[in-house]
Amino acid sequence: MYAAAFDYHRPSTIDEAIALLARHGDEAKVLAGGHSLIPAMKLRLARPSVVVDIARIASLSEIRDAGGRIAVGALATHQSVESSALLKSKCPLLAEVAATIGDVQVRNKGTIGGSLAHADPAADYPAAIVALDAEIEVAGPKGRRTIRAADFFVGLLETALAPDEIITEIRVPATPQSVAYEKTSQKASGFALTGVAVVVDGQAARIGITGVATKAYRATAAEQALGAGRTAETIAAAASHAADGVDPLNDIHASSAFRAHLAQVNTRRALERAFSRV
Amino acid sequence: MKLPLATSIAADRARVFAALVDPQTLQRAIPGCESLTETAPGEYAATLKVGVAGLKGSYKGKTTVSHQQPPDSLFLSFEGRGAPGFVRGSAWLALAAEGDGTKITGEADVVVGGLIASVGSRLIEAAAKKLSDDFFRQLAKVLTDQTADAR
Repeated sequence: MYAAAFDYHRPSTIDEAIALLARHGDEAKVLAGGHSLIPAMKLRLARPSVVVDIARIASLSEIRDAGGRIAVGALATHQSVESSALLKSKCPLLAEVAATIGDVQVRNKGTIGGSLAHADPAADYPAAIVALDAEIEVAGPKGRRTIRAADFFVGLLETALAPDEIITEIRVPATPQSVAYEKTSQKASGFALTGVAVVVDGQAARIGITGVATKAYRATAAEQALGAGRTAETIAAAASHAADGVDPLNDIHASSAFRAHLAQVNTRRALERAFSRV
Repeated sequence: MKLPLATSIAADRARVFAALVDPQTLQRAIPGCESLTETAPGEYAATLKVGVAGLKGSYKGKTTVSHQQPPDSLFLSFEGRGAPGFVRGSAWLALAAEGDGTKITGEADVVVGGLIASVGSRLIEAAAKKLSDDFFRQLAKVLTDQTADAR
């Protein structure tokens, strides 16, 4: 089906894009890679009257070393994140997660900023973003601000991003190579029924889980149960707390109980693999 | 799909019950409700613009409240139709005194069909849960605002 009629704008700077959003408010949607918005528009589940295409804002697709952190431009495609030598050496989790998203076409067009702004509960990146405690920088009419990963995801398809703000970059910390992403995907779409991202840094392990609840979360109960333990038994015992305190989603692809089970299994596998890389 | 409903509201049962059958309160509490009019006793016609985040659709619908046993319980049935598909369902609500407030429990049985069901199945249950949570939160707010105004 064709999308409903809309006005199309293609600003060449962030300021122009923000001015357009400020003018059109709720009626406007930002178009980046278009791999969530365009299908929704063609099915007429989304009918924005104004589309602000930011894909030509060149400054937004760079991946660079930013003094201890790595700054990933919002328009970096999943493919460029997956193949970035800088990320592979300094923050391998993000590259590993990007490589599991959708299929080749999706990875060539979809962007990290678009994925985060859309906040699909089954998207892959959010697991890594919360496990890495990343910072999301956004620009709006009042200037720029930084949102911490823990505050960014608010609920189902909802973020702390205001309608007139645009994500400009995502800053992730440098980590050791001891990371892992374990995912069980829905076969047709590649979306995560459950995806578990683990970062082992020194004594601490951080666990981020997507696909299970309406938003990605840190599995703090499992992290605490693990403590400094490294044996197969402690890992398995800690993983059994992966879905503690969450209300797992239920849909035709997986029941709540199955999702909670997958969270535990994938947490155990991700912890084992991350520790094997220490 | 069946959705369990449970919420607590800081207002007595008589007021909560009255709110649940008052068109003005309902219009303020129902997420995305643009208009709501009583067409016959216990029957309401509504237009809604509802959804989650950017995925919103317009629906026209009607709701009937029956088996009213103030202030203990009521039965709602509803149906709505719009470009993205249709929604119909029913819900029992039971009101119990909880201190000075009211505890509402019940279960909704919701059927979603059409385009939204075939392509949005992954998110429908989570969206329905969010909308029912939003409704009860807003209902509680309307009632507590009225209490504050009365003082």
